[in-house]
Amino acid sequence: MDGPVIETTAVHMRYASGEMSVEALRGIDFVVAAGEFVAIMGPSGSGKSTLLSILGCLERPTAGSYRIADEEVSAFDERKAARVRRERIGFVFQSFNLLLRSTAAQNVELPLFYAGVGREERRERTRAALEAVGLGDRVDHLPRQLSGGQQQRVAVARAIVTRPDVVLADEPTGNLDSHSQDEILELLGDVHAQGATIVMVTHSREVAEHGTRIVHVLDGLIDADEAVARVAW
Amino acid sequence: MSGLEHVLLALQALRANWLRGLLTALGIIIGVASLVALTAISAGAQEGVASDLRRLGPNIILLDGEFVTLPNGQMTATDRTLTRGDLAAVAQLPAVTAVGRRQLVEMTVSSGRRQTTTILTGIDETFQRMHNYAAAQGRLLTAADDREGREVIVLGSKPAQRMFKGAPAVGRTVRILSREFTVIGVYSTKGNLGPDDLDNQALVPITVAKRVLFGGEAIQGADVQVRTQAQVVPTMDEIDALMAERHKITSGSGEDFSTEDQTQIITAAAAATSTFKTLTLALGAIALVVGGIGIMNIMLVSVTERTREIGIRKALGAEPSRIQAQFLVEALALCVGGGLAGVGIGLVAARMVAKLAGWPTLISPPSLIIAFVSSVVVGLFFGYYPARRAARLPPAVAMRYD
Repeated sequence: MDGPVIETTAVHMRYASGEMSVEALRGIDFVVAAGEFVAIMGPSGSGKSTLLSILGCLERPTAGSYRIADEEVSAFDERKAARVRRERIGFVFQSFNLLLRSTAAQNVELPLFYAGVGREERRERTRAALEAVGLGDRVDHLPRQLSGGQQQRVAVARAIVTRPDVVLADEPTGNLDSHSQDEILELLGDVHAQGATIVMVTHSREVAEHGTRIVHVLDGLIDADEAVARVAW
Repeated sequence: MSGLEHVLLALQALRANWLRGLLTALGIIIGVASLVALTAISAGAQEGVASDLRRLGPNIILLDGEFVTLPNGQMTATDRTLTRGDLAAVAQLPAVTAVGRRQLVEMTVSSGRRQTTTILTGIDETFQRMHNYAAAQGRLLTAADDREGREVIVLGSKPAQRMFKGAPAVGRTVRILSREFTVIGVYSTKGNLGPDDLDNQALVPITVAKRVLFGGEAIQGADVQVRTQAQVVPTMDEIDALMAERHKITSGSGEDFSTEDQTQIITAAAAATSTFKTLTLALGAIALVVGGIGIMNIMLVSVTERTREIGIRKALGAEPSRIQAQFLVEALALCVGGGLAGVGIGLVAARMVAKLAGWPTLISPPSLIIAFVSSVVVGLFFGYYPARRAARLPPAVAMRYD
């Protein structure tokens, strides 16, 4: 892969409901190179969550081009989009989005399961991922037996277990106390340090500054794009 | 993901809500159970008809003299109109292989102090052979008994039991209207022909019966046997025409004889129960459909409840077909489980019906397979729509669902 991991050109997103029609994105040109840790900031209603949805192939843009790892995916149907999601993307959500009746290991295993990875390899990689997020001793716990921070660790393990091209994080610390927030940001920092590309949506400047670059979205357009100064670290 | 893993996944979801699963499957269980039990009963009844036909003799036309209504309202054939000449003429018809004479009347038969009321039946040897009578004790009537006017009697199992209480009957004498008959045999049980209990009979040679009991020259009736079942109806028409001509009956005046198809009597008796069974069978099918709708309903609820789960699975890369398979397998698991339970309960119910109601039941493996397969079909049919709906949920929307 020579090009960028993510490249959107003039991406538009229009939601129509009845006679009303809202243009959530109005022409987004956005490029993420391999190894970047990009934070997307913006007030609510700015379109940052919609952008993340499109980057995650959860929604199709109404216009524009989206290439992920040199593959044009903007027109993919649900079946092909599912393939892109399981091969190229790892998700971390604000509300964790773990399956509540499944154990930590079963949750982490799920993307491998859908990718058709064999049982033995699945178990091995699941264990490794859980150890990487410091939960090697919690594999058989159900989500309700874990703290919020631990649940989000499971979600991070699930996002990296397939070794995706990019990890998309949507307000990953939004539901956490400040201690857990630090833990998760540190964990994402580790994941990034080990070579992962991360795109994270947040409304908090403090959180955003853990990335290498901050992109500001306002009214469906990219408003500013700044590199984070590392001097302070 | 292998098929087995699909099944395990579905079972995991069902186990989490097993009571609801059980209640959902109840419709299928009841439907399949009633289908299994009712087909067993119905097959038993059909088998009963077939064995009735074997037992009572095939291809037989019942020819009777003029019917009159008794003061008690019952119809009975009289022995005034049917002559020996009539029977000889009928025997000449090309399809007819045998004509067996008979005349019967309800009478009291006694042995010592014990007496019983039975159907005293005067017959000839041909009649006995036509109807597949067999001796359980002693021997049956012979042409010689008839020819030589021996005053002998062959008892049915019921009068024999009532008079002799299980002791050997052969060689004893019984008294009918102050005449004594020697018991020469007891015939094997024959069951019912329509409403008539064929085991409550006593057989005597027809010539003797006419001479000492009934009197008169004409005979009450005869059974006419033809070669094949297909010849029964045309031959009945021929007999009707022949008899009308011999008795100079013109259309308009009442006939002084009647013909009837024995097979029809047997199947008519079975038809009444068969109508009942068709109805209950239909009810079983309806229960199955209602059960299927119940499953669809619960699956739709389940899809709605688990919208978020579906969204998560899709975000993690599950293709729509995977989601569809997951929910379809869940519906199938409910139906297959319900189907198996239904087959089990149906078998027990069939056995209980056989035991308590005394109906014959016949459990055939194909009927079990059909009942089971139909529950699977119901599962696929009613599980398809909810599963498809789950598969089509847009992931972004599903993830936001609470």
